[in-house]
Amino acid sequence: MLIRIENLAHTYARGTPLVHDALRGVSLEIAPGERVGIVGRTGSGKSTLVQHLAGLLKPTSGRVLLDGVIAHTRSSAAQRRKLALAFQYPEHQIFEHTVLREVAFGPRHLGLRKDEIAGRVRWALGMVGLDVEEMGERVPFTLSGGEMRRVALASVLAMRPEVLILDEPTAGLDPQGRRELLAQVRRWQEEIGMTLVLVSHDLDELAHVVERVVLLNDGQVAIDGPARQVLSDGPLLRAAGLDVPQPVALLQMLREAGWDVRTDRLLPEEAAEEILRVGGRA
Amino acid sequence: MRPFIEVRGLEHAYPLEGGEWVPALQGIDLTIEPGEFVALIGSNGSGKSTLARHFNGLLEPTAGEVWVDGLSTSDPRHLWEVRQRVGMVFQNPENQLVASTVEEDVAFGPENAGLPPDEIRQRVDEALALVGLQDYCTHPPQMLSGGQKQLVAIAGVLAARPACVVFDEPTSMLDPPSRRRILDTVRRLNVHEGITVVLITQSMAEAAAAGRVLAMHAGRIVMDGPPREVFEQGERLRALGLGLPPAVEIARRLREQGLALPPGLLTVEALAGALC
Repeated sequence: MLIRIENLAHTYARGTPLVHDALRGVSLEIAPGERVGIVGRTGSGKSTLVQHLAGLLKPTSGRVLLDGVIAHTRSSAAQRRKLALAFQYPEHQIFEHTVLREVAFGPRHLGLRKDEIAGRVRWALGMVGLDVEEMGERVPFTLSGGEMRRVALASVLAMRPEVLILDEPTAGLDPQGRRELLAQVRRWQEEIGMTLVLVSHDLDELAHVVERVVLLNDGQVAIDGPARQVLSDGPLLRAAGLDVPQPVALLQMLREAGWDVRTDRLLPEEAAEEILRVGGRA
Repeated sequence: MRPFIEVRGLEHAYPLEGGEWVPALQGIDLTIEPGEFVALIGSNGSGKSTLARHFNGLLEPTAGEVWVDGLSTSDPRHLWEVRQRVGMVFQNPENQLVASTVEEDVAFGPENAGLPPDEIRQRVDEALALVGLQDYCTHPPQMLSGGQKQLVAIAGVLAARPACVVFDEPTSMLDPPSRRRILDTVRRLNVHEGITVVLITQSMAEAAAAGRVLAMHAGRIVMDGPPREVFEQGERLRALGLGLPPAVEIARRLREQGLALPPGLLTVEALAGALC
């Protein structure tokens, strides 16, 4: 699905003293199969933007087109069904009594046949690394936080979305939980070829997953480009209240000290390779 | 010097439906001295938060005993004093704010302690100055950013003039600038005000800023030492579901390739310094 955002503006609490422009003239296009990170500090407009993508908000001005159809209207129902949004802490929205019922909830409402629903549930649980036989009859609320997060994401995957939007998917997980979840997200994207939109303020983490980064600052797009370029742009990120990933910070310090290193190596292993390649001051 | 917190043979179990019990803490022995800055790390469910809740008597030991400044938390007569000495700051600042202006929120504790108005005023001003929010006295907390709300929650705890503050993942819901500000505040309270700090965190970079790191696994303390020693043990940390601060990870890879680097490089600044 092709997503087009045209000059989108969103104002909260218009006509009150609390009036707030959350988005101001945002334009961007997301092509099928892209892996896009949306970054920005708290209040920069990230969550408002993704809610517009899902057709949950009506623009104050401008528009969002999903395959050419305006997102927030009734006529876009078919397009919106191809798109899934997992909010922050998605496990807070779990309500069924068993893992099976929870994951089956969405597919059931698509009017699928019983065996199709069962197939999707099995597949979706597999994608998040949970076993149907072992977990299916468990009560979601007795699972660990990380397991509940995975059940919630399986419910989203069971809808077989063409576009998957994840808002801070690793918040509150421990380091291993974060590593595993990010590896899974990458695998889903490779196997299914879905469009992936990842909202995060952890740039070290984002560097592992996305190829393109949109930086929001104060409701506007400050820059939109390849992950390497945006995530190594210290001045721009700092102006937006963020920091470069730690490996980039290290390489920038070395560069200032006279090393001829590239500073757009985002991952620890890439930074180590670059340091070994250059080996010292020029 | 008397230890500030002393834990001996602490066990804690939570009840399950059907009369079973799940052990959350098993045989914890621990001493924390006054003025220490201790980071508590461990995977989800390892027992960090349960242990921290014993530090101010929010939980009662299933077995064993905890003393805070010499007071046993198992004795209900001590609970008031224990909680005066140890304050708690939680993950979500939204859940900790109770009043309609910042100063009223911070005054909530001292007012309930029945202090005279002058004393309350003085404590509120002092606490807000400590977190750098003196200019926000009359703001409604709802209008502040997440990081500022967390600072208000910290000021509310400081107004009780605790000797120790336990921070339970105070930055996990905040953006990077707010995280930095909270961490700077925590460090300043420890260094300049001599407040004993226990910081629970999932960020290995934050833990590296502490004077001592405790790693928990399955209800036990499995590593205990200065960050430079704890973060030397990359394999072990990985096995515990944890990781390394990015700088330590890069240094490890460089050493593997034969680069000679001194031990204990915990930050990218230190690593850059060693390389240059």
